[in-house]
Amino acid sequence: MLLKSKRSSWAYIVARVKVMKRRLIPSEEYRKLLNMDFNEIVRYLEETDYKREIDELAYKYSGPRLLDYALTLNLGRTYRKIMDVSFGIAKDIITTYLKRWDIWNIVTIIRGKMAGVSEEEIEEALVPVGEYTLDFYKSLIPKEIDEIVKTFEGTPYYSVLSKVGSEPLSIIEDELYKIYYHQILKERPSEFALKLFVDFIKMEIDIKNIKTILRLKREDVSAEEIMRRIIPGGFEITEEEASKLIAMSWDELVKALEGYWFSKGLEGITDKSISRIEIKFDKAWMEVVARRASNYPLSILPVLQYMVLKKIEVDNLRTLGWGKWQGIPNEEIEEQLVIL
Amino acid sequence: MSVVKVQPTRMELIKLRRRIKMAKRGHSLLKMKRDGLIMEFRELLEEAKKVIGGMAEKYEKAMQKLALAMAVDGVVAVKSIAMARQCEPKFVMHKKNIMGVVVPVIKREEKIVRCVVEREYGVLGTTARIDEAVEAFEQLVDAILEVAEIETTIRRLIEEIEKTKRRVNALEYRVIPSMEEACKFIAFKLEEMDRENIIRLKKLKSKKAKQEA
Repeated sequence: MLLKSKRSSWAYIVARVKVMKRRLIPSEEYRKLLNMDFNEIVRYLEETDYKREIDELAYKYSGPRLLDYALTLNLGRTYRKIMDVSFGIAKDIITTYLKRWDIWNIVTIIRGKMAGVSEEEIEEALVPVGEYTLDFYKSLIPKEIDEIVKTFEGTPYYSVLSKVGSEPLSIIEDELYKIYYHQILKERPSEFALKLFVDFIKMEIDIKNIKTILRLKREDVSAEEIMRRIIPGGFEITEEEASKLIAMSWDELVKALEGYWFSKGLEGITDKSISRIEIKFDKAWMEVVARRASNYPLSILPVLQYMVLKKIEVDNLRTLGWGKWQGIPNEEIEEQLVIL
Repeated sequence: MSVVKVQPTRMELIKLRRRIKMAKRGHSLLKMKRDGLIMEFRELLEEAKKVIGGMAEKYEKAMQKLALAMAVDGVVAVKSIAMARQCEPKFVMHKKNIMGVVVPVIKREEKIVRCVVEREYGVLGTTARIDEAVEAFEQLVDAILEVAEIETTIRRLIEEIEKTKRRVNALEYRVIPSMEEACKFIAFKLEEMDRENIIRLKKLKSKKAKQEA
C-alpha cells in the first residue's frame, strides 16, 4: 500500500508540524510543574491546548481521572489533526504508524469481553486513534468474541485473532504487535521517505526488543520464551543478535549492550529496576530521532518526532498529575519523566 | 451439686470416689491442654504479627506501584491490563489438628505470583511498571491468604483456650469440691449409721442381759 502512494510535498506537513511542535511544553517548564500541586497543574494546563478537553470532560470526571482522560483525548485529536493535514505518502505513513492503536483497541475489547467487564468500562479504555474510528470500535463492544474476530476477516490480524480461545491472550497480543511491525518491514522502500520511516520503526523495534530481553531476563524466563517475544527485523537487535544477548548472563548482557546505538541509556543498569531503565532507553531513542530529524528536515522524521514527543508530553503530564495526586515524592516523579 | 440430694450409701460413696478420681485426672489433663494451647497461641501470635506486618507492607508497596503505573502508563492502560485477569485465584481448604483444635490450611491450587510470560497480558504492548504493579498485587494476594489462615487458626485457638479454661475452672472450683463435700457427707452419714447400729446393738445386748438376769 505504501509503495503505491504518490510523492508528497514534505514542506507543507513539516511546516504544520513545526507550528504544533512549538506549542509543546518546554522541558524547563517541567521543573516549575514539579513544584506545583495538582490543582495548580490543572490550572496551568487550562491555559494551554488541553483546555478544550479538560472543559469537555469536566462534567463527567474529576481529579486525576479528568486529567488522564483529557490528555488521552487530546493526544487522539492531535494525531487525527496530523492525519487531516497530511496527504500522499505522508498520510499513508502516519496511518500505518498509528495502526498500533488498533491493536491496543482490539485487544482491550477482547480482554474486556473475556473478563465479562461492562460495556462502559471497555469503552473507557479505548483510545480514539488508529485506522478504524472510535464508533467502529464502539459497535464491536456489544458483539460476541467470534463475531468481533470475524469482523477482521481479510485483514492481516485475522490469522492471529482466529486463535482467540485456543491460545492465551498474551501470546495473541504479542503476535498482533509482531504482525504490525512485519507489515511495515515487509515493504521494500524504494522511496527515501519510506526508508527513513522503516529505519525509524527498526530502531523502535530495537528498543522494544532490548526492553523485552531485560524485562524477561530479570524474571529468569527461558531463552525459548524470550525469543518467542522478539520482534524480527530490528535495526541492530536482529533475531540473531537477540539470541546471542539472551544466552548471556545479566552482567555480560549489560556489558555487551554498550556497543549499540542506544547505549546512552545504559548507565546505571545495576539495580535491575527495569522501569527506570526503560525511561533511559526512551530518552536515548528520542535523542537519536531528534538528531536524525534535524539531518532530514524535509522528511517524515520531523512528523514522527513530533508524534512521539507529543506522546511523551502527555505521559509526562499524566505522571505529574497522578504523581502529585497520589503524593509520590518529587524525586520519584522526576525519575519517571522523560525530559529531553 | 447439692449435698442433700445424695443418697448416703456405700455404693454411692464408691461411685463418687471414682468420679472424683476421674475428675481430678481430667482436670490435670485439661490444665495441660490449656497450657499447651497457650504456648501454641503465643508462638502463633509472634508469627501472626510478622505475617500481618508483612501484608501491610506489601499493601503499601502494591498501592505505590499501582500509583506509579497509573501515573506513567495512564488509567486507560491499567484498566485494559486489569481486564486481562479472567478468573479469581483458586485455593483449597485443608484441615490440620492442633491439640484437638481443627484449623484450616489454605493450599493454593495454582501459583499466585507468576512469571511475566504466564500472565494474561502481552509483553510487547506493556511496560515494566505494569509488571511491577501486577507482581506487587500478586504478592499481596498471597500474603492475604497467609494472614487469613493464621488469623482463623488464632481465632479458633482463642475459642478453645477459653472453653478449656472454663472447664478447668468449673472442675477446680465447683465440680470437684462439691463431689468431695458429698463424699465427706456420705462418709460422715455412714459413720453415723455405723455408730447408731453399734449403740443399738449394745442397747439390745444390755436389754437381753437384763432379761436373763
